[in-house]
Amino acid sequence: MSAASTNPEWVAKVQNQSRLSFGLAVTDMAARDDRVVAISADTLDLIGLREMVAAAPERVIEAGIAEQNAMGMASGLATTGMRPYLCGYAPFITARSMEQLRNDVAYANQRVVIGAACSGIVLGVSGGTHHALEDIALMRSLPNMTVMVPADALEAWHLTQATETLDGPSYVRIGGKFDEPAVTAVDASPTIGKATTLRRGTDVTVIACGCMVVEALAAADELASEGIGVRVLNMHTIKPLDRDAVLAAAAETRGIVAAEEHHLTGGLGGAIAELVAEEHPTRMRFVGMPDTFATVGPTRKVREKYGMSAANIAVKCRELMG
Amino acid sequence: MLTNREATLDELRAHALQIRRNVWRALHAAGSGHMGGSLSAADILAALYFHHLRLRPSEPDWADRDRFILSKGHANAALGAVLAQAGFIDDAVLDQFYAYESLFGMHPDIKMAGVEMSTGGLGHGLSIGLGVALGARLQNKGFRTIVMLGDGELQEGSNWEAAMAASHQKAANLTAILDYNKVQQSGHVSEMLTLEPAPDKWRAFGWAVREIDGHDMDQIISALDELPYVEDKPSIIIAHTVKGKGVSFAEDTHLWHNNMVPDEVFEKAMAELGEPA
Repeated sequence: MSAASTNPEWVAKVQNQSRLSFGLAVTDMAARDDRVVAISADTLDLIGLREMVAAAPERVIEAGIAEQNAMGMASGLATTGMRPYLCGYAPFITARSMEQLRNDVAYANQRVVIGAACSGIVLGVSGGTHHALEDIALMRSLPNMTVMVPADALEAWHLTQATETLDGPSYVRIGGKFDEPAVTAVDASPTIGKATTLRRGTDVTVIACGCMVVEALAAADELASEGIGVRVLNMHTIKPLDRDAVLAAAAETRGIVAAEEHHLTGGLGGAIAELVAEEHPTRMRFVGMPDTFATVGPTRKVREKYGMSAANIAVKCRELMG
Repeated sequence: MLTNREATLDELRAHALQIRRNVWRALHAAGSGHMGGSLSAADILAALYFHHLRLRPSEPDWADRDRFILSKGHANAALGAVLAQAGFIDDAVLDQFYAYESLFGMHPDIKMAGVEMSTGGLGHGLSIGLGVALGARLQNKGFRTIVMLGDGELQEGSNWEAAMAASHQKAANLTAILDYNKVQQSGHVSEMLTLEPAPDKWRAFGWAVREIDGHDMDQIISALDELPYVEDKPSIIIAHTVKGKGVSFAEDTHLWHNNMVPDEVFEKAMAELGEPA
Protein backbone atom coordinates (compact mmCIF):
# COMPACT_ATOMS: atom_id res chain seq x y z
CA MET A 1 0.00 0.00 0.00
CA SER A 2 2.76 2.39 0.92
CA ALA A 3 4.55 1.39 -2.26
CA ALA A 4 1.53 2.41 -4.30
CA SER A 5 1.06 5.64 -2.43
CA THR A 6 4.66 6.79 -2.93
CA ASN A 7 4.61 5.83 -6.59
CA PRO A 8 4.97 9.05 -8.64
CA GLU A 9 2.24 7.89 -10.97
CA TRP A 10 -0.14 7.47 -8.04
CA VAL A 11 0.82 10.82 -6.58
CA ALA A 12 0.12 12.45 -9.95
CA LYS A 13 -3.28 10.79 -10.17
CA VAL A 14 -4.28 11.84 -6.71
CA GLN A 15 -3.15 15.44 -7.14
CA ASN A 16 -3.18 15.88 -3.38
CA GLN A 17 -6.94 15.29 -3.37
CA SER A 18 -8.38 12.88 -0.87
CA ARG A 19 -11.54 12.35 -2.93
CA LEU A 20 -9.49 10.74 -5.75
CA SER A 21 -7.47 8.84 -3.20
CA PHE A 22 -10.63 7.21 -1.86
CA GLY A 23 -11.72 6.01 -5.29
CA LEU A 24 -8.26 4.74 -6.20
CA ALA A 25 -8.05 2.87 -2.91
CA VAL A 26 -11.40 1.21 -3.64
CA THR A 27 -10.18 0.34 -7.14
CA ASP A 28 -7.00 -1.12 -5.66
CA MET A 29 -8.95 -3.25 -3.17
CA ALA A 30 -11.36 -4.37 -5.88
CA ALA A 31 -8.44 -5.79 -7.87
CA ARG A 32 -7.59 -8.21 -5.07
CA ASP A 33 -11.03 -8.80 -3.54
CA ASP A 34 -13.99 -9.86 -5.68
CA ARG A 35 -16.38 -8.78 -2.94
CA VAL A 36 -15.53 -5.09 -3.29
CA VAL A 37 -18.26 -3.17 -5.11
CA ALA A 38 -18.51 0.59 -5.58
CA ILE A 39 -21.83 2.40 -5.63
CA SER A 40 -21.81 5.88 -7.11
CA ALA A 41 -24.45 8.55 -6.66
CA ASP A 42 -23.41 10.35 -9.84
CA THR A 43 -19.89 10.69 -8.45
CA LEU A 44 -17.74 8.59 -10.80
CA ASP A 45 -15.28 11.39 -11.56
CA LEU A 46 -15.70 13.23 -8.31
CA ILE A 47 -14.46 10.27 -6.33
CA GLY A 48 -11.96 8.70 -8.74
CA LEU A 49 -13.86 5.62 -9.90
CA ARG A 50 -13.19 5.81 -13.66
CA GLU A 51 -10.31 3.32 -13.46
CA MET A 52 -12.55 0.85 -11.65
CA VAL A 53 -15.23 1.33 -14.29
CA ALA A 54 -12.61 0.26 -16.83
CA ALA A 55 -11.17 -2.59 -14.77
CA ALA A 56 -14.29 -4.07 -13.19
CA PRO A 57 -17.39 -2.43 -14.73
CA GLU A 58 -19.78 -5.00 -13.27
CA ARG A 59 -18.68 -3.96 -9.79
CA VAL A 60 -19.38 -0.27 -10.19
CA ILE A 61 -23.09 0.37 -9.68
CA GLU A 62 -24.25 3.79 -10.75
CA ALA A 63 -27.23 4.64 -8.56
CA GLY A 64 -27.88 8.03 -10.09
CA ILE A 65 -28.83 11.05 -8.04
CA ALA A 66 -30.85 8.94 -5.65
CA GLU A 67 -29.02 8.67 -2.34
CA GLN A 68 -31.81 6.98 -0.41
CA ASN A 69 -31.91 4.08 -2.83
CA ALA A 70 -28.11 3.98 -3.02
CA MET A 71 -27.88 3.58 0.76
CA GLY A 72 -30.50 0.84 0.88
CA MET A 73 -28.86 -1.02 -1.99
CA ALA A 74 -25.52 -0.84 -0.20
CA SER A 75 -27.07 -2.47 2.84
CA GLY A 76 -28.69 -5.19 0.75
CA LEU A 77 -25.42 -5.92 -1.06
CA ALA A 78 -23.63 -6.19 2.28
CA THR A 79 -26.08 -8.83 3.51
CA THR A 80 -25.00 -11.08 0.63
CA GLY A 81 -21.33 -10.88 1.60
CA MET A 82 -20.35 -8.17 -0.86
CA ARG A 83 -18.27 -5.24 0.42
CA PRO A 84 -19.96 -2.05 -0.77
CA TYR A 85 -18.18 1.31 -0.91
CA LEU A 86 -20.81 3.99 -1.30
CA CYS A 87 -19.57 7.23 -2.84
CA GLY A 88 -21.48 10.47 -2.59
CA TYR A 89 -21.40 14.14 -1.76
CA ALA A 90 -21.08 14.61 2.00
CA PRO A 91 -24.06 16.97 2.36
CA PHE A 92 -26.40 14.62 0.48
CA ILE A 93 -25.19 11.11 1.29
CA THR A 94 -25.66 11.90 4.98
CA ALA A 95 -28.66 14.19 5.34
CA ARG A 96 -30.76 13.03 2.36
CA SER A 97 -30.40 9.33 3.14
CA MET A 98 -30.11 9.63 6.90
CA GLU A 99 -32.98 7.25 7.67
CA GLN A 100 -31.58 4.56 5.39
CA LEU A 101 -28.17 5.17 6.91
CA ARG A 102 -29.52 4.82 10.43
CA ASN A 103 -31.91 1.87 9.87
CA ASP A 104 -30.49 -0.17 7.01
CA VAL A 105 -26.78 0.37 7.66
CA ALA A 106 -26.16 1.29 11.32
CA TYR A 107 -29.10 -0.41 13.06
CA ALA A 108 -28.83 -3.52 10.91
CA ASN A 109 -25.04 -3.27 11.44
CA GLN A 110 -24.09 -3.88 7.82
CA ARG A 111 -20.54 -3.50 6.58
CA VAL A 112 -21.00 -0.49 4.32
CA VAL A 113 -18.20 2.05 3.85
CA ILE A 114 -19.39 5.55 2.97
CA GLY A 115 -16.99 7.85 1.13
CA ALA A 116 -18.33 11.37 1.60
CA ALA A 117 -16.64 13.90 -0.67
CA CYS A 118 -16.84 17.67 -0.57
CA SER A 119 -17.29 17.82 3.17
CA GLY A 120 -17.22 20.97 5.27
CA ILE A 121 -17.07 24.15 3.19
CA VAL A 122 -15.29 22.52 0.25
CA LEU A 123 -18.19 23.62 -1.96
CA GLY A 124 -17.88 27.13 -0.61
CA VAL A 125 -19.29 29.03 -3.56
CA SER A 126 -22.23 26.63 -3.80
CA GLY A 127 -23.65 28.04 -0.60
CA GLY A 128 -25.27 26.53 2.45
CA THR A 129 -27.27 23.91 0.58
CA HIS A 130 -23.97 22.25 -0.39
CA HIS A 131 -21.95 22.69 2.79
CA ALA A 132 -21.62 19.70 5.11
CA LEU A 133 -21.00 21.05 8.57
CA GLU A 134 -23.16 18.69 10.60
CA ASP A 135 -22.18 15.31 9.12
CA ILE A 136 -19.70 14.34 11.85
CA ALA A 137 -22.39 14.97 14.47
CA LEU A 138 -24.90 12.88 12.53
CA MET A 139 -22.48 10.00 12.01
CA ARG A 140 -21.03 10.13 15.50
CA SER A 141 -24.48 9.79 17.04
CA LEU A 142 -25.08 6.42 15.33
CA PRO A 143 -24.20 3.25 17.27
CA ASN A 144 -21.93 0.80 15.38
CA MET A 145 -20.53 3.58 13.16
CA THR A 146 -16.80 4.26 12.76
CA VAL A 147 -16.11 7.87 11.74
CA MET A 148 -12.89 8.93 10.03
CA VAL A 149 -11.65 12.31 8.81
CA PRO A 150 -8.36 11.94 6.94
CA ALA A 151 -6.07 14.96 6.88
CA ASP A 152 -4.64 14.51 3.39
CA ALA A 153 -4.73 12.31 0.30
CA LEU A 154 -2.25 9.77 1.61
CA GLU A 155 -4.13 9.35 4.86
CA ALA A 156 -7.39 8.98 2.93
CA TRP A 157 -5.74 6.16 0.99
CA HIS A 158 -4.53 4.40 4.15
CA LEU A 159 -7.76 4.78 6.11
CA THR A 160 -9.87 3.62 3.16
CA GLN A 161 -7.66 0.55 2.88
CA ALA A 162 -7.88 0.06 6.65
CA THR A 163 -11.67 -0.32 6.41
CA GLU A 164 -10.92 -3.88 5.28
CA THR A 165 -10.42 -4.69 8.96
CA LEU A 166 -13.83 -3.37 10.05
CA ASP A 167 -16.89 -5.56 10.52
CA GLY A 168 -19.48 -2.80 10.84
CA PRO A 169 -20.38 0.41 8.99
CA SER A 170 -17.96 3.29 8.56
CA TYR A 171 -17.84 6.86 7.28
CA VAL A 172 -14.84 8.43 5.59
CA ARG A 173 -15.14 12.22 5.36
CA ILE A 174 -13.10 13.54 2.48
CA GLY A 175 -12.38 16.75 0.62
CA GLY A 176 -13.03 18.14 -2.80
CA LYS A 177 -11.49 19.48 -5.94
CA PHE A 178 -8.59 21.45 -4.64
CA ASP A 179 -5.13 20.71 -3.38
CA GLU A 180 -4.92 19.43 0.18
CA PRO A 181 -1.37 19.91 1.50
CA ALA A 182 0.33 16.73 2.63
CA VAL A 183 0.71 16.60 6.39
CA THR A 184 1.16 12.92 7.09
CA ALA A 185 4.48 11.16 6.59
CA VAL A 186 4.96 9.09 3.46
CA ASP A 187 5.73 6.03 5.59
CA ALA A 188 2.85 6.71 8.00
CA SER A 189 0.45 3.87 8.52
CA PRO A 190 -2.50 5.22 10.46
CA THR A 191 -4.48 2.85 12.65
CA ILE A 192 -8.22 3.39 12.94
CA GLY A 193 -8.93 4.71 16.42
CA LYS A 194 -5.35 5.83 17.19
CA ALA A 195 -4.40 9.49 16.93
CA THR A 196 -1.14 10.43 15.24
CA THR A 197 1.16 12.75 17.17
CA LEU A 198 2.62 15.31 14.75
CA ARG A 199 4.27 17.65 17.32
CA ARG A 200 5.37 16.62 20.79
CA GLY A 201 4.91 19.85 22.77
CA THR A 202 4.02 19.91 26.45
CA ASP A 203 2.51 23.39 26.94
CA VAL A 204 -0.83 23.12 25.17
CA THR A 205 -2.42 20.55 22.83
CA VAL A 206 -4.24 21.10 19.56
CA ILE A 207 -6.38 18.14 18.53
CA ALA A 208 -7.41 18.59 14.91
CA CYS A 209 -8.92 16.59 12.08
CA GLY A 210 -9.15 16.89 8.33
CA CYS A 211 -8.15 20.17 6.74
CA MET A 212 -7.55 21.77 10.13
CA VAL A 213 -4.52 19.60 10.80
CA VAL A 214 -2.33 21.64 8.48
CA GLU A 215 -3.63 24.80 10.16
CA ALA A 216 -2.75 23.33 13.55
CA LEU A 217 0.78 22.65 12.39
CA ALA A 218 1.16 26.21 11.12
CA ALA A 219 -0.12 27.53 14.46
CA ALA A 220 2.33 25.30 16.32
CA ASP A 221 5.21 26.61 14.23
CA GLU A 222 4.18 30.20 14.92
CA LEU A 223 3.85 29.56 18.65
CA ALA A 224 7.20 27.77 18.77
CA SER A 225 8.83 31.06 17.85
CA GLU A 226 7.18 32.53 20.96
CA GLY A 227 8.57 29.71 23.09
CA ILE A 228 5.25 27.87 23.40
CA GLY A 229 5.49 24.12 22.84
CA VAL A 230 2.31 22.88 21.15
CA ARG A 231 1.38 19.23 20.98
CA VAL A 232 -0.46 18.53 17.76
CA LEU A 233 -2.60 15.42 17.46
CA ASN A 234 -4.11 14.40 14.14
CA MET A 235 -7.37 12.82 15.31
CA HIS A 236 -8.22 11.10 12.02
CA THR A 237 -10.73 8.84 13.78
CA ILE A 238 -13.52 10.67 15.58
CA LYS A 239 -15.24 7.46 16.62
CA PRO A 240 -13.98 5.43 18.34
CA LEU A 241 -12.09 8.34 19.87
CA ASP A 242 -8.51 7.71 21.02
CA ARG A 243 -9.20 8.06 24.73
CA ASP A 244 -5.60 7.51 25.79
CA ALA A 245 -4.24 10.29 23.59
CA VAL A 246 -6.91 12.76 24.72
CA LEU A 247 -6.54 11.96 28.42
CA ALA A 248 -2.75 12.16 28.18
CA ALA A 249 -3.07 15.60 26.59
CA ALA A 250 -5.45 16.65 29.37
CA ALA A 251 -3.01 15.42 32.01
CA GLU A 252 0.26 16.55 30.48
CA THR A 253 -0.53 19.97 28.94
CA ARG A 254 -2.35 23.09 30.15
CA GLY A 255 -5.39 22.62 27.96
CA ILE A 256 -6.81 21.40 24.67
CA VAL A 257 -7.83 23.31 21.55
CA ALA A 258 -10.10 21.27 19.28
CA ALA A 259 -10.03 22.29 15.61
CA GLU A 260 -12.34 21.04 12.91
CA GLU A 261 -14.18 22.17 9.79
CA HIS A 262 -17.59 21.41 11.30
CA HIS A 263 -20.20 23.01 13.51
CA LEU A 264 -19.05 23.44 17.07
CA THR A 265 -22.02 21.29 18.06
CA GLY A 266 -21.51 17.55 18.00
CA GLY A 267 -18.19 17.18 16.23
CA LEU A 268 -14.61 16.44 17.29
CA GLY A 269 -14.57 19.15 19.94
CA GLY A 270 -17.77 17.84 21.44
CA ALA A 271 -16.42 14.31 21.52
CA ILE A 272 -13.27 15.45 23.33
CA ALA A 273 -15.24 17.59 25.78
CA GLU A 274 -17.59 14.71 26.62
CA LEU A 275 -14.60 12.55 27.48
CA VAL A 276 -12.50 15.00 29.51
CA ALA A 277 -15.51 16.43 31.38
CA GLU A 278 -16.04 13.04 32.98
CA GLU A 279 -12.56 11.64 33.21
CA HIS A 280 -10.04 14.48 33.39
CA PRO A 281 -11.55 17.97 33.36
CA THR A 282 -9.27 20.46 31.66
CA ARG A 283 -9.57 23.87 30.02
CA MET A 284 -10.66 23.74 26.39
CA ARG A 285 -11.10 26.04 23.43
CA PHE A 286 -13.00 25.28 20.24
CA VAL A 287 -12.20 26.18 16.66
CA GLY A 288 -14.95 25.37 14.18
CA MET A 289 -18.10 26.68 12.59
CA PRO A 290 -20.28 28.77 14.92
CA ASP A 291 -24.05 28.24 15.11
CA THR A 292 -24.88 29.87 11.81
CA PHE A 293 -24.97 28.92 8.14
CA ALA A 294 -21.83 29.89 6.28
CA THR A 295 -21.72 32.59 3.66
CA VAL A 296 -20.96 31.97 -0.02
CA GLY A 297 -17.33 32.29 -1.01
CA PRO A 298 -14.02 30.61 -1.78
CA THR A 299 -13.41 27.79 0.67
CA ARG A 300 -10.32 29.08 2.46
CA LYS A 301 -11.68 32.60 2.75
CA VAL A 302 -14.94 31.33 4.21
CA ARG A 303 -13.09 29.08 6.66
CA GLU A 304 -11.03 32.06 7.81
CA LYS A 305 -14.10 34.25 8.22
CA TYR A 306 -15.46 31.87 10.83
CA GLY A 307 -12.14 31.33 12.58
CA MET A 308 -11.08 28.04 11.06
CA SER A 309 -7.50 29.15 10.54
CA ALA A 310 -3.99 28.78 11.94
CA ALA A 311 -4.18 32.34 13.29
CA ASN A 312 -7.28 31.61 15.35
CA ILE A 313 -5.89 28.31 16.60
CA ALA A 314 -2.83 30.27 17.82
CA VAL A 315 -5.11 32.78 19.57
CA LYS A 316 -6.90 29.96 21.39
CA CYS A 317 -3.61 28.36 22.40
CA ARG A 318 -2.36 31.63 23.88
CA GLU A 319 -5.59 31.92 25.88
CA LEU A 320 -4.86 28.55 27.45
CA MET A 321 -1.32 29.65 28.35
CA GLY A 322 -2.68 32.56 30.39
CA MET B 1 -59.91 -37.68 -4.72
CA LEU B 2 -58.11 -34.34 -4.76
CA THR B 3 -55.60 -33.60 -7.47
CA ASN B 4 -52.09 -32.70 -6.36
CA ARG B 5 -52.75 -29.03 -7.00
CA GLU B 6 -55.99 -29.05 -5.05
CA ALA B 7 -54.25 -30.79 -2.17
CA THR B 8 -51.48 -28.19 -2.26
CA LEU B 9 -54.01 -25.38 -2.24
CA ASP B 10 -55.87 -26.88 0.70
CA GLU B 11 -52.63 -27.29 2.60
CA LEU B 12 -51.62 -23.69 1.94
CA ARG B 13 -55.05 -22.42 2.96
CA ALA B 14 -54.67 -24.29 6.24
CA HIS B 15 -51.27 -22.66 6.76
CA ALA B 16 -52.81 -19.25 6.03
CA LEU B 17 -55.56 -19.85 8.56
CA GLN B 18 -52.94 -20.85 11.10
CA ILE B 19 -50.98 -17.64 10.36
CA ARG B 20 -54.14 -15.62 11.06
CA ARG B 21 -54.73 -17.48 14.31
CA ASN B 22 -51.10 -16.98 15.31
CA VAL B 23 -51.28 -13.26 14.49
CA TRP B 24 -54.21 -12.90 16.87
CA ARG B 25 -52.36 -14.99 19.44
CA ALA B 26 -49.27 -12.76 19.25
CA LEU B 27 -51.30 -9.54 19.42
CA HIS B 28 -53.32 -10.89 22.31
CA ALA B 29 -50.10 -11.73 24.14
CA ALA B 30 -48.75 -8.24 23.43
CA GLY B 31 -52.06 -6.56 24.22
CA SER B 32 -52.19 -4.75 20.88
CA GLY B 33 -50.69 -4.62 17.42
CA HIS B 34 -51.04 -4.13 13.69
CA MET B 35 -53.92 -6.45 12.90
CA GLY B 36 -55.20 -5.29 9.52
CA GLY B 37 -51.99 -5.41 7.50
CA SER B 38 -50.92 -8.69 9.08
CA LEU B 39 -54.14 -10.46 8.12
CA SER B 40 -54.15 -9.09 4.56
CA ALA B 41 -50.71 -10.62 3.97
CA ALA B 42 -51.43 -14.07 5.46
CA ASP B 43 -52.34 -15.98 2.30
CA ILE B 44 -49.35 -14.66 0.37
CA LEU B 45 -46.98 -15.46 3.25
CA ALA B 46 -48.32 -19.02 3.42
CA ALA B 47 -47.70 -19.47 -0.31
CA LEU B 48 -44.20 -18.01 -0.02
CA TYR B 49 -42.99 -20.02 2.96
CA PHE B 50 -44.72 -23.32 2.25
CA HIS B 51 -44.59 -23.37 -1.54
CA HIS B 52 -42.28 -20.89 -3.24
CA LEU B 53 -39.20 -19.91 -1.25
CA ARG B 54 -36.20 -22.27 -1.10
CA LEU B 55 -35.25 -22.19 2.56
CA ARG B 56 -33.67 -24.33 5.23
CA PRO B 57 -35.31 -23.48 8.57
CA SER B 58 -32.64 -25.44 10.45
CA GLU B 59 -29.94 -23.48 8.60
CA PRO B 60 -31.40 -19.94 8.42
CA ASP B 61 -28.16 -18.41 7.09
CA TRP B 62 -27.78 -20.94 4.25
CA ALA B 63 -25.95 -18.89 1.61
CA ASP B 64 -28.12 -19.95 -1.33
CA ARG B 65 -31.50 -19.43 0.34
CA ASP B 66 -34.12 -17.27 -1.30
CA ARG B 67 -34.51 -13.93 0.46
CA PHE B 68 -37.79 -12.48 1.66
CA ILE B 69 -37.85 -8.93 2.97
CA LEU B 70 -40.94 -7.60 4.69
CA SER B 71 -40.74 -3.94 3.75
CA LYS B 72 -44.09 -3.24 5.43
CA GLY B 73 -42.42 -4.14 8.69
CA HIS B 74 -45.44 -3.34 10.83
CA ALA B 75 -46.90 -6.68 9.69
CA ASN B 76 -44.21 -8.43 11.71
CA ALA B 77 -46.78 -10.45 13.65
CA ALA B 78 -47.56 -12.29 10.42
CA LEU B 79 -43.87 -12.77 9.63
CA GLY B 80 -43.24 -14.14 13.11
CA ALA B 81 -46.23 -16.46 12.72
CA VAL B 82 -45.00 -17.93 9.45
CA LEU B 83 -41.41 -18.21 10.71
CA ALA B 84 -42.67 -20.17 13.72
CA GLN B 85 -44.87 -22.39 11.59
CA ALA B 86 -41.96 -23.05 9.20
CA GLY B 87 -39.65 -23.92 12.08
CA PHE B 88 -37.23 -20.97 12.02
CA ILE B 89 -38.16 -19.92 15.53
CA ASP B 90 -39.72 -21.67 18.49
CA ASP B 91 -43.49 -21.54 18.62
CA ALA B 92 -43.24 -20.07 22.13
CA VAL B 93 -41.65 -16.91 20.67
CA LEU B 94 -45.12 -15.92 19.45
CA ASP B 95 -46.11 -15.33 23.04
CA GLN B 96 -43.14 -12.96 23.42
CA PHE B 97 -44.47 -10.34 20.99
CA TYR B 98 -43.50 -6.89 22.39
CA ALA B 99 -41.95 -8.54 25.45
CA TYR B 100 -38.99 -6.91 27.18
CA GLU B 101 -35.73 -7.80 25.36
CA SER B 102 -37.62 -10.01 22.89
CA LEU B 103 -36.30 -10.25 19.33
CA PHE B 104 -39.97 -10.34 18.31
CA GLY B 105 -41.00 -6.70 18.56
CA MET B 106 -43.39 -4.60 16.54
CA HIS B 107 -40.99 -4.61 13.57
CA PRO B 108 -38.64 -7.28 12.17
CA ASP B 109 -35.19 -7.60 13.73
CA ILE B 110 -32.36 -9.00 11.62
CA LYS B 111 -31.04 -10.75 14.72
CA MET B 112 -34.03 -13.13 14.75
CA ALA B 113 -33.60 -16.38 12.79
CA GLY B 114 -35.18 -16.14 9.36
CA VAL B 115 -35.41 -12.34 9.31
CA GLU B 116 -33.39 -10.92 6.42
CA MET B 117 -33.47 -7.25 7.40
CA SER B 118 -34.58 -4.95 10.17
CA THR B 119 -37.43 -2.99 8.65
CA GLY B 120 -40.18 -0.73 9.91
CA GLY B 121 -39.24 2.65 8.54
CA LEU B 122 -41.34 2.66 5.39
CA GLY B 123 -39.91 2.80 1.90
CA HIS B 124 -36.69 0.91 2.69
CA GLY B 125 -37.27 -2.69 1.64
CA LEU B 126 -37.25 -2.37 -2.13
CA SER B 127 -33.82 -0.70 -2.20
CA ILE B 128 -32.44 -3.30 0.16
CA GLY B 129 -33.98 -6.08 -1.94
CA LEU B 130 -32.44 -4.62 -5.08
CA GLY B 131 -29.05 -4.62 -3.37
CA VAL B 132 -29.56 -8.27 -2.41
CA ALA B 133 -30.57 -9.14 -5.97
CA LEU B 134 -27.51 -7.38 -7.38
CA GLY B 135 -25.35 -9.20 -4.82
CA ALA B 136 -26.76 -12.50 -6.10
CA ARG B 137 -26.01 -11.57 -9.68
CA LEU B 138 -22.45 -10.42 -8.91
CA GLN B 139 -21.76 -13.72 -7.16
CA ASN B 140 -23.47 -15.84 -9.84
CA LYS B 141 -25.94 -17.15 -7.32
CA GLY B 142 -29.39 -18.28 -8.31
CA PHE B 143 -31.30 -17.29 -5.22
CA ARG B 144 -34.35 -15.11 -5.65
CA THR B 145 -35.31 -11.98 -3.74
CA ILE B 146 -38.88 -11.10 -2.88
CA VAL B 147 -39.93 -7.88 -1.18
CA MET B 148 -43.39 -7.36 0.24
CA LEU B 149 -44.55 -3.77 0.01
CA GLY B 150 -47.46 -2.05 1.68
CA ASP B 151 -49.71 0.31 -0.22
CA GLY B 152 -49.46 3.28 2.13
CA GLU B 153 -45.72 2.69 2.11
CA LEU B 154 -45.56 3.46 -1.60
CA GLN B 155 -46.25 7.09 -0.77
CA GLU B 156 -42.57 7.25 0.28
CA GLY B 157 -40.53 8.56 -2.65
CA SER B 158 -37.60 6.22 -1.99
CA ASN B 159 -39.66 3.35 -3.45
CA TRP B 160 -39.71 5.06 -6.79
CA GLU B 161 -35.97 5.59 -6.75
CA ALA B 162 -35.67 1.84 -6.20
CA ALA B 163 -38.26 1.08 -8.88
CA MET B 164 -36.30 3.12 -11.41
CA ALA B 165 -33.00 1.54 -10.41
CA ALA B 166 -34.31 -2.05 -10.51
CA SER B 167 -35.53 -1.77 -14.08
CA HIS B 168 -32.39 0.11 -15.11
CA GLN B 169 -30.38 -2.79 -13.67
CA LYS B 170 -32.66 -5.32 -15.41
CA ALA B 171 -32.97 -7.10 -12.06
CA ALA B 172 -35.21 -9.98 -13.15
CA ASN B 173 -34.23 -11.88 -9.99
CA LEU B 174 -36.12 -9.28 -7.92
CA THR B 175 -39.84 -9.53 -7.27
CA ALA B 176 -42.05 -7.12 -5.37
CA ILE B 177 -45.41 -8.13 -3.99
CA LEU B 178 -47.75 -5.27 -3.21
CA ASP B 179 -50.17 -6.14 -0.42
CA TYR B 180 -52.76 -3.74 -1.78
CA ASN B 181 -55.29 -3.74 1.01
CA LYS B 182 -56.36 -0.16 0.20
CA VAL B 183 -56.22 1.09 3.79
CA GLN B 184 -53.55 2.92 5.73
CA GLN B 185 -53.33 4.20 9.30
CA SER B 186 -55.71 7.16 8.99
CA GLY B 187 -58.04 6.10 6.21
CA HIS B 188 -58.36 4.65 2.72
CA VAL B 189 -55.31 5.10 0.52
CA SER B 190 -57.49 6.49 -2.25
CA GLU B 191 -58.54 9.33 0.04
CA MET B 192 -55.15 9.97 1.68
CA LEU B 193 -52.77 9.95 -1.30
CA THR B 194 -53.86 7.64 -4.07
CA LEU B 195 -51.55 5.16 -5.78
CA GLU B 196 -53.78 4.87 -8.83
CA PRO B 197 -53.25 4.03 -11.54
CA ALA B 198 -50.89 1.68 -9.69
CA PRO B 199 -50.31 -0.95 -12.44
CA ASP B 200 -49.63 1.77 -15.00
CA LYS B 201 -47.12 3.44 -12.69
CA TRP B 202 -45.15 0.21 -12.29
CA ARG B 203 -45.27 -0.51 -16.00
CA ALA B 204 -44.05 3.01 -16.70
CA PHE B 205 -41.15 2.40 -14.32
CA GLY B 206 -40.14 -0.64 -16.40
CA TRP B 207 -41.57 -3.49 -14.35
CA ALA B 208 -43.48 -6.57 -15.47
CA VAL B 209 -46.84 -6.38 -13.71
CA ARG B 210 -49.37 -9.02 -12.75
CA GLU B 211 -52.56 -8.34 -10.80
CA ILE B 212 -54.13 -11.04 -8.65
CA ASP B 213 -56.62 -11.56 -5.87
CA GLY B 214 -54.23 -11.82 -2.93
CA HIS B 215 -56.58 -14.15 -1.05
CA ASP B 216 -57.10 -16.62 -3.92
CA MET B 217 -54.46 -19.29 -3.28
CA ASP B 218 -54.73 -20.64 -6.80
CA GLN B 219 -53.93 -17.23 -8.27
CA ILE B 220 -51.15 -16.61 -5.73
CA ILE B 221 -49.20 -19.75 -6.49
CA SER B 222 -49.66 -19.35 -10.24
CA ALA B 223 -48.26 -15.84 -9.98
CA LEU B 224 -45.27 -17.10 -7.98
CA ASP B 225 -44.65 -20.19 -10.11
CA GLU B 226 -44.53 -18.16 -13.31
CA LEU B 227 -41.87 -15.67 -12.15
CA PRO B 228 -40.12 -13.88 -13.74
CA TYR B 229 -42.67 -12.67 -16.23
CA VAL B 230 -40.20 -11.00 -18.57
CA GLU B 231 -36.60 -12.10 -19.00
CA ASP B 232 -34.91 -8.81 -18.23
CA LYS B 233 -37.38 -6.98 -16.02
CA PRO B 234 -38.12 -7.01 -12.31
CA SER B 235 -41.62 -8.30 -11.55
CA ILE B 236 -44.35 -6.97 -9.33
CA ILE B 237 -47.39 -8.90 -8.20
CA ILE B 238 -50.08 -6.40 -7.33
CA ALA B 239 -52.14 -8.43 -4.91
CA HIS B 240 -55.57 -6.97 -4.23
CA THR B 241 -56.30 -7.81 -0.63
CA VAL B 242 -58.64 -6.90 2.18
CA LYS B 243 -57.28 -5.24 5.29
CA GLY B 244 -58.10 -7.40 8.32
CA LYS B 245 -59.10 -10.33 6.07
CA GLY B 246 -60.77 -13.25 7.83
CA VAL B 247 -62.33 -11.47 10.79
CA SER B 248 -65.53 -9.64 9.89
CA PHE B 249 -65.27 -6.76 12.32
CA ALA B 250 -61.67 -5.96 11.32
CA GLU B 251 -62.11 -5.95 7.54
CA ASP B 252 -61.55 -2.94 5.27
CA THR B 253 -61.23 -0.29 7.95
CA HIS B 254 -58.39 1.85 9.22
CA LEU B 255 -59.85 1.40 12.68
CA TRP B 256 -58.14 -2.01 12.72
CA HIS B 257 -54.74 -0.81 11.52
CA ASN B 258 -53.24 -0.95 15.00
CA ASN B 259 -55.41 -1.88 17.96
CA MET B 260 -55.78 -3.10 21.49
CA VAL B 261 -56.67 -6.78 21.72
CA PRO B 262 -58.42 -7.50 25.01
CA ASP B 263 -59.65 -11.02 25.87
CA GLU B 264 -63.18 -10.58 24.57
CA VAL B 265 -62.01 -9.31 21.17
CA PHE B 266 -59.47 -12.10 20.93
CA GLU B 267 -62.09 -14.75 21.65
CA LYS B 268 -64.51 -13.26 19.15
CA ALA B 269 -61.85 -13.27 16.45
CA MET B 270 -60.69 -16.81 17.14
CA ALA B 271 -64.29 -18.01 17.01
CA GLU B 272 -64.60 -16.52 13.51
CA LEU B 273 -61.34 -18.03 12.33
CA GLY B 274 -62.08 -21.55 13.53
CA GLU B 275 -59.66 -24.46 13.67
CA PRO B 276 -57.55 -25.40 10.64
CA ALA B 277 -58.77 -28.54 8.91
